[in-house]
Amino acid sequence: MTTIWFLVVLFCLVMYVVFDGYDLGIGTGTLFERDASRKRHMIELVATGWDGNETWLILMGVSLWGGFPLAFGVILPHLYLPLIITLFALIVRGGSIELISQTRNPPAILTWAFGIASLVAAFAQGFALGELTSAAHVVDGAYTGSDGGFPWYPIVLGITVALAYTALGYGYLKLKSEGQLLDTAARRGGIVALFTVIFGALSLVSIAWTDAPLNLGTPGRAVAFWALIAFAITGGAVAAVNFRRRTENHPTADLLPFAGLVVTAVTTLLAFTVAHYPVLVPPSLTVTSAAGPYNTLVFLLVGIGLNIPLIIFYHWFAHRTFGGKFRGPVTHESRTSVLTGASNER
Amino acid sequence: MSLIDLSRWQFALTVCFHMTFPAITVGMSVFLCVIYAMYWRTQKPVYLQMFRFWRRIFAVGFALGVVAGAVITFQMGLNWGVFGAKTGPIIGPIIGMEVVTAFFVEAGFIGIMLYGDGRVRHITMFAATVMVTIGTILSSTWILAANSWMQTPEGYAVKNGQYVPTDWAAAIFTPAFAWRYPHMIVAVLISASIFIAGISAYYLIKNRSRGFARRSLSIALGVAALLLPVQLLIGDGLAGNVDVPYQPSKLEALEGNWQNGNTGWVIFAIPDQAEARNIVQISVPWLGSAIAKDPTGKTATPGLDNTPVNDRPDMAATFWGFRAMFFASLFMFATVFLSVVLRLRGRLWESRRFHKYVLWTTPIGIIAILGGWVTSEAGRQPWVVFGLLRTSAAVSKLAPDAVVFSVIGFSLIYLVLLVAYIAYIVHTVKIGPERDDPRVNPDLAPGLEIDTEPATAFANAEEVAR
Repeated sequence: MTTIWFLVVLFCLVMYVVFDGYDLGIGTGTLFERDASRKRHMIELVATGWDGNETWLILMGVSLWGGFPLAFGVILPHLYLPLIITLFALIVRGGSIELISQTRNPPAILTWAFGIASLVAAFAQGFALGELTSAAHVVDGAYTGSDGGFPWYPIVLGITVALAYTALGYGYLKLKSEGQLLDTAARRGGIVALFTVIFGALSLVSIAWTDAPLNLGTPGRAVAFWALIAFAITGGAVAAVNFRRRTENHPTADLLPFAGLVVTAVTTLLAFTVAHYPVLVPPSLTVTSAAGPYNTLVFLLVGIGLNIPLIIFYHWFAHRTFGGKFRGPVTHESRTSVLTGASNER
Repeated sequence: MSLIDLSRWQFALTVCFHMTFPAITVGMSVFLCVIYAMYWRTQKPVYLQMFRFWRRIFAVGFALGVVAGAVITFQMGLNWGVFGAKTGPIIGPIIGMEVVTAFFVEAGFIGIMLYGDGRVRHITMFAATVMVTIGTILSSTWILAANSWMQTPEGYAVKNGQYVPTDWAAAIFTPAFAWRYPHMIVAVLISASIFIAGISAYYLIKNRSRGFARRSLSIALGVAALLLPVQLLIGDGLAGNVDVPYQPSKLEALEGNWQNGNTGWVIFAIPDQAEARNIVQISVPWLGSAIAKDPTGKTATPGLDNTPVNDRPDMAATFWGFRAMFFASLFMFATVFLSVVLRLRGRLWESRRFHKYVLWTTPIGIIAILGGWVTSEAGRQPWVVFGLLRTSAAVSKLAPDAVVFSVIGFSLIYLVLLVAYIAYIVHTVKIGPERDDPRVNPDLAPGLEIDTEPATAFANAEEVAR
């Protein structure tokens, strides 16, 4: 039962990384977009989905809390600064995107705030994930501090995640846009995907020098790990190739960059899980030692687990409502006027 | 300032900021349901105008409430890691239920509620609005269940230092929940009503959109007039059935007495916690006894000296939190009393002085709710789980610099957001509800084409309603 619940938490993490990953990535992309209308277009694309996407983060948080209370009480203080910065960035992002949606010509500071907050959130999440490889001191189930030292691994992982999210963002943009925006996404997406692969490989190799080196002791683990990594590389390669392709020659050229990167993200997360399970935080906090009591897990599986299919349905429904290609100026004008009634007023 | 003080200030700041938004939006979502139902039944354009206008205020408040609320879940682990680890088996699943039954429901239907009118059928709009409302109320329900367990914990056993659920029904439906839940739901309905009435009064004063303003004011003040007496009874029941038997220290602190024997009721005090006395105190004779349901004036209010020094909550915070709620409720009583008198004399829509009073008291319901939460949370101290886990034992052992950084960060970001929200409300109110009148502006958003295939299917299936 503990394992099932662990899979639920992992599932939430994967959903979060894929969905908020693309929208944080598009946010980061706005920093490099000079054209105001294209920038606005990118922001409106995020506006349709960000709140639902972020709810996966909250669900992951509470699933961890309920199912693995000890881990929640240790991991969060252990990752205090990167998580606080993530929260700051997500608040600024949420606030600025709503205010941008309310105004016809938002001040530049809002769009910059949105872009920078997206980048900061992405980096801080990677940093936080990287911190998980450093040892935490735990006394009687309470966090008491961690080993100091320069956080070089978290920084590498922060950059990797920021790059990966940006690549996902361009992948999603290529899927959802037309015209010049699509060209930009295709051009930049390919470059970012390439850098993501380089930094991904660097993180994979350098993890050996952290407190949480890969545990590939049994053949099963090693095979699973390398198989997953092979999938990840294939996904990345498919994405990199298809960013440049055009739908005229290759009907799936708009879908494959995003799909390939999703495969990469999911398999990479799974690969690292395989290589570390059941350790959550080194040296000794494991899934079993952190698990909540039987009554709690039953409640969680019935109350929350059974709701998850429903949630996936809502999520699918919300994305489906805004499915297909996202139309440029028409859409942002009309969306804005829905919110402010601006068309007849000013 | 010590680590625990910093973490407590941070938590107080973030929850107060968060609570400002649900204090308006939960009640307002109910109001929007009612308005839309009335529009659906009567087809009167004024109801659609009301729905559209109040939805503007609702939409941004809702988004900010969501963003600010997400932070709180994580703080339970970030700053209160020991609390998170020990109470996680009980509180974690309860908050988890909030996420799956409320957050995702809201996220799924808010889009239709905000952007759907004019392009989906009335029944779909109404259903979406009802679903969002159910989401906001369920959210309040689970939060109150979690917090009430911290006030009067039941249905648990202690195992390996953790509080482990033994009886879920008992853990969710605690004695405190039975009273605090209705108290909170009625409170958000009242505060939203007072808020709506205040803005409506502004239009009556300015002589704008009178049809809109009269109906909004009338409904809002009618609801408040019905609910305030109910709230008085619930509040009294809460003190008598929860505080007296379970949390006497909270009651002693909120009444502002140190020694037993005062039959009066303290309306002003500056408590000195260390010396266990009030530096200044103004007490109204007889009233304390009367509130304890003894009109002979012989029943005294118990003092905080009954509680051992180490178990005393901070009197100043508890007392003034309660007084803020109480004095705010007096203002609201004045509003509803005057509204009933004016209504009976047929002058509810003419009395300018009354409208000005209502306008100035627009945020008073929110102040009352914040005061109530301060009473509830400060009065529970020094416990985080009353009688079981001390706040000082629940805090994460963090580097103080990191907490200072986070406190400053939250303060700055929240200040900016609060100013932006108030500016947005003022701006929206000044533009006014005229643009929302369907006779002036039949379709708010001509030519909305968010997508290709599914939306056309959507628009075709649902006949466009005017």
